[in-house]
Amino acid sequence: MPNEPLIDALAADLAPVRPRRTGRELLALAGIGAVELTLVLLLGGARPDIGVAMLLPSFWWKLLGLAALSAIGVVTAVRSFEPASSPRRGLLLLALAVGFVLAVGWAIDGGDAVAMPLAERLMWRHGVDCVFRMAVLSIPAIVALGLLMRRGAPTDRRASALAVGAASAAWGAFVFAFNCPSDDPLYIAFWYCLGCAVVTLIGRLALPAITRW
Amino acid sequence: MSDGGDWGALMAAAQAGNGGAYRRLLAELDIWLVRYYARRLPAAVADDAAQEALIAIHAKRHTYDPARPFKPWLVAIARYKWIDRLRTMARQPETELPDTLAVSDHEQGVVGAIVLAELLASLKSAQREVIRLVKLDGLSIAEAAARTGQSESLVKVNIHRGLAKLARIVEERGDAE
Repeated sequence: MPNEPLIDALAADLAPVRPRRTGRELLALAGIGAVELTLVLLLGGARPDIGVAMLLPSFWWKLLGLAALSAIGVVTAVRSFEPASSPRRGLLLLALAVGFVLAVGWAIDGGDAVAMPLAERLMWRHGVDCVFRMAVLSIPAIVALGLLMRRGAPTDRRASALAVGAASAAWGAFVFAFNCPSDDPLYIAFWYCLGCAVVTLIGRLALPAITRW
Repeated sequence: MSDGGDWGALMAAAQAGNGGAYRRLLAELDIWLVRYYARRLPAAVADDAAQEALIAIHAKRHTYDPARPFKPWLVAIARYKWIDRLRTMARQPETELPDTLAVSDHEQGVVGAIVLAELLASLKSAQREVIRLVKLDGLSIAEAAARTGQSESLVKVNIHRGLAKLARIVEERGDAE
């Protein structure tokens, strides 16, 4: 056996390890998410008119839609840190869910029938600020997921990185949704998609190199 | 050959720190891995790949969940390292095989890496031919150029593109062991 010296070296001084469990990692992430959301809300991050906003369908569409997307993304990502499971099916489900959420938003928009020029509805100055905040709020998620990905053994690193990026993006946007004063589905669809795309792209480009094994 | 049942139990013991169980497991996995890569890589790099896979298994041993079957976990890691190795070979098209390992007889070189040889069928003939000549039969770039009529730089480009494509094919195609 040519590899005997290597095997001896690996087996000598074998340190015990704790097997990773997907459920435990998801629980830890939920904890981090709960802390972040609580902090943001305690530090006055919630929009002042949140009581009124809660009466609008677009507020719930935004919140529930992003919560669902982020949940699908996180589960897909964490499961893929196990060598034998691929994130590709989860990513497909996530893409379908994005399409579904946008379609619901479109329906809500049609019901409201706002007659305003496009440029005014998009309020780009405000929108750029939204994108920035969303990205900042996604940092805890992308760091935590990135560390778990490094510790795990993802065998399709680019797809896992995409799942991590998308999950973090949706999470950041979800936290931001408590703060964002806009209820216009068009504004939300445009700027939230842009913000999520930026964070997803960062994850997709940066993570595969950092998580090589 | 084990179906992975005992291997799973041995790995669970290794995770708890049992060096004896671990040593036995690695020795058996080594045999399995050497065979696995012999069918999938040129002889010159197959043993190296097996070693690298052993190290990866060691570094990632905590990712095995004892509640699950061991074999899919092992295959996933072996396959990952296989793709990795194909990519490395694609990046270095001009690295030639050591003379001692070069096989002058065309057939013999191909028979070893049988899975790789099957995969080559899905490439364009210009790529397939030079990968066979240089990576499996051990010819130099210059010899392969003379044999095929391609220029030396074209030989390198075709090796690079062909191997990169093989890596993609293996990655896309699920686990056909």
